[in-house]
Amino acid sequence: MKNAWIICVLAAALAACSGRQTAPEAAMPASLEELTGHTVAVAGGSSTDLLLSQYEGINLMRISIGDMPLAVKSGRAEFAMMQEIQYDVNKLDRQGFRKCFSGILRGVSGVAFRKEDGTVCEDFNGFLRGMRARGEYDRWYRDWIQNPDSMVVETAARPTPVSGKKLTIGITLVFPYIYYSNEDLSGMEIDLFNRFCNEKGYSPEYSIVQFPALIPSLNAHKIDVILSHIMVTPERAQQVLFSDVYLEGNQCCFGLAPEWDAADGTGIWGRLKDSFRKNLVEEDRWKLLAGGLAVTLEISLFSLLLAILIGALLCYLRMRPDKAVSSATKVFIDTVRGIPVLVILMMMFYVIFANLRLSGVTVAVFSFGLFYGACFSEVFRAGMLGVGRGQWEAGSALGLNKAQVFRLIAFPQALKRIVPVFKGEVISLIKNTSIVGYVAVLDLTSAGDIIRTRTLDAFFPLILVSVIYIILSRISGGLLDALDRKLNPAK
Amino acid sequence: MITVKHVSKVFRKGDQEITVLRDVNCEIAKGEVIGIIGPSGTGKSTFLRCLNRLEEPSGGHIEIDGVDLMDRMADVNLLRRKMGMVFQNFNLFEHLTILDNITLCPRTLLGRSREEAEAKAMELLQLVGLYEKAGSLPEELSGGQKQRAAIARCLAMEPEIILFDEPTSALDPTMVSEVLVVIRRLASEGMTMAIVSHEMQFIRNVSTRIFFMNEGVIYEEGTPEQIFEHPRRPATIAFINRIRTIEFILADKHFDLYGLFGEVGVFCTKYGLGNDMQTKVQHVLEEMLCEILPFCGPVNLTLDYSEKDYTLRIDFVQEGCTDPILETVPEDSLSLKLIHGMSASLCETAPGSIHVEM
Repeated sequence: MKNAWIICVLAAALAACSGRQTAPEAAMPASLEELTGHTVAVAGGSSTDLLLSQYEGINLMRISIGDMPLAVKSGRAEFAMMQEIQYDVNKLDRQGFRKCFSGILRGVSGVAFRKEDGTVCEDFNGFLRGMRARGEYDRWYRDWIQNPDSMVVETAARPTPVSGKKLTIGITLVFPYIYYSNEDLSGMEIDLFNRFCNEKGYSPEYSIVQFPALIPSLNAHKIDVILSHIMVTPERAQQVLFSDVYLEGNQCCFGLAPEWDAADGTGIWGRLKDSFRKNLVEEDRWKLLAGGLAVTLEISLFSLLLAILIGALLCYLRMRPDKAVSSATKVFIDTVRGIPVLVILMMMFYVIFANLRLSGVTVAVFSFGLFYGACFSEVFRAGMLGVGRGQWEAGSALGLNKAQVFRLIAFPQALKRIVPVFKGEVISLIKNTSIVGYVAVLDLTSAGDIIRTRTLDAFFPLILVSVIYIILSRISGGLLDALDRKLNPAK
Repeated sequence: MITVKHVSKVFRKGDQEITVLRDVNCEIAKGEVIGIIGPSGTGKSTFLRCLNRLEEPSGGHIEIDGVDLMDRMADVNLLRRKMGMVFQNFNLFEHLTILDNITLCPRTLLGRSREEAEAKAMELLQLVGLYEKAGSLPEELSGGQKQRAAIARCLAMEPEIILFDEPTSALDPTMVSEVLVVIRRLASEGMTMAIVSHEMQFIRNVSTRIFFMNEGVIYEEGTPEQIFEHPRRPATIAFINRIRTIEFILADKHFDLYGLFGEVGVFCTKYGLGNDMQTKVQHVLEEMLCEILPFCGPVNLTLDYSEKDYTLRIDFVQEGCTDPILETVPEDSLSLKLIHGMSASLCETAPGSIHVEM
């Protein structure tokens, strides 16, 4: 019943938000200089970011490309900068946006390799030369820009390269270069790279990485290749080895079209239905969410089990009469609890387990297990301290050994005290797994992000994801409440 | 059955060492009911808790049926099954019903089936008068009921001896007797017991032997009659007669008389001695200390008040004195007459030691 209420409220918020659009008053700028005094959304760490940073007086808002239309529509940013090709392919003109000017930051993109991987780079350059010579390159470019949907079908029909030397490729999802279509990775870059792998005998494995983390991941050997329409700049060229140019482009600046009217006559339910279709039904996008949910559940469950084990162990060590062991454990617990869990996750992924090539999910389970183990240990300890000395003495005096007293008397009593506090920690764990996107894990939150970058509709996926998290929290909370009621029948 | 040899216990608190048990020796035979009495803080409870090693003795030996409990190889848990313990704070298992409290250990340790254990438990509950409370949780019981349930839990393990650690100290006065009745019944059935208690009348009636503990040793032991009617040693006598004492050492003639009066006044008020008595004591002290005693050395002054027969005694000990003092005082001295008038008796037991009964 309570759940139903929450969902109703959120649905209303969703409907209201979808309709919240205001027409701008400001005139459209025609050059970079005219952006002074305005808030402009750029991709964090991109060349646009570097360029615009040199202009004083421009408020930069560093977000991901997929969030730009939303940022502009909601008024958080007045203008945004993205690749002109992205603007065109996404047909943003039809969604109430207008290009202000373009042609800035003309640049070229290359595939990036580690400096020492010259042979792979040469292979790629050879492949590219061959494609251009045969005229395949022009066809590839034209078809993807003009009719991406049919290209998706064509790409999907082509056999996926499986044999050969394994390459891990770091990607960021931006339509039309790389995106999910019917649960499969697709897009012009994926198409190009798969063709290369087929021709030269490589076995690709794609891994989603946040754009700013791409180069560090490459140098940390987490990935072998960066395939993210990354622009060639002298600074980057010092850190990585770029292939020949395979894409050219320029940036455009856009804002809301002055004449665009929010009222399109479809009403709240019509818009909701439209969002539902676009974000879930089209291209079976709900499967992405379902897959993400499964990953979130997997990480939550295994982290929880690991955290309980670690928590119990730390609690045991912390409660040893030996002062040295006890205080060393306390220092450890305080240290782990003092670090934000996101930082622990990043350290585990990029530093501690950097050379082990463990999957993101495994690293996430270790990180959450460790962090919440430290949190749980203090919850457990508080529960154990609540069991009076007299209870232990009475058990011992009757002839029970320590383990029996613990199992039959102390633990059941401590459990009663632990469960209500534990519930909050478990819910916190489930919700905190949403940060695993940082280590290239495709969980529920990331799945929502992917849908957003593709449909450029932020509200619906975000709120849908929220609702799923609320339901997860309610279910786990409900289970623990049931346990609590079983332990405390008097309540 | 139990032999205790040279048991000692030292608590360490930081750098401080507190000796609670100095050297305890005793034997307890089957069928005996040992009452353990003594002033607070003299190690009665600690001694009891050392017997089943809830406290680790610092030294000595405890033998039970010939097995040394202090031996590294001894199975303490097995020996503990033979010794039940009833605590001041009951210590019932809070998460279990009374029935489960009683059946838990027989089922876990003695391998009893649920039916067997429960049948036995109901029998015991009948014995302690809690048949109807079998399904209740401890928190639903009154203090007296909790303690009776704890006794039943103890009996379920069929112990050879039960140690009672101040079983009625945490109870409302109205509930004391219901617990004592149960213990008395066990005594009459021949159960071996050791009871630490401040219920003097009860201890006197129920015990076959009394240990009087003082300053970490068994200071005096004997039958209830010997201890309560004819105690032999001073601390026992003081305790049995419930004697309250205050002591002063006066270095020379220039001591603070009014400060002394103040402290004596507090002492008298504390034990309910009236203003009348207080004035008399002041007169006696003033005459004795200012007129009669020569102060050829320090004077030790002791006031003893017995709460049993309501008598107050004052002892003056003049140190450095070889000749009797009272004999040197003239018969018709005003001071002496005054003291005689105020007190019941006055005598010099040894040269320099003057004893006044008020």
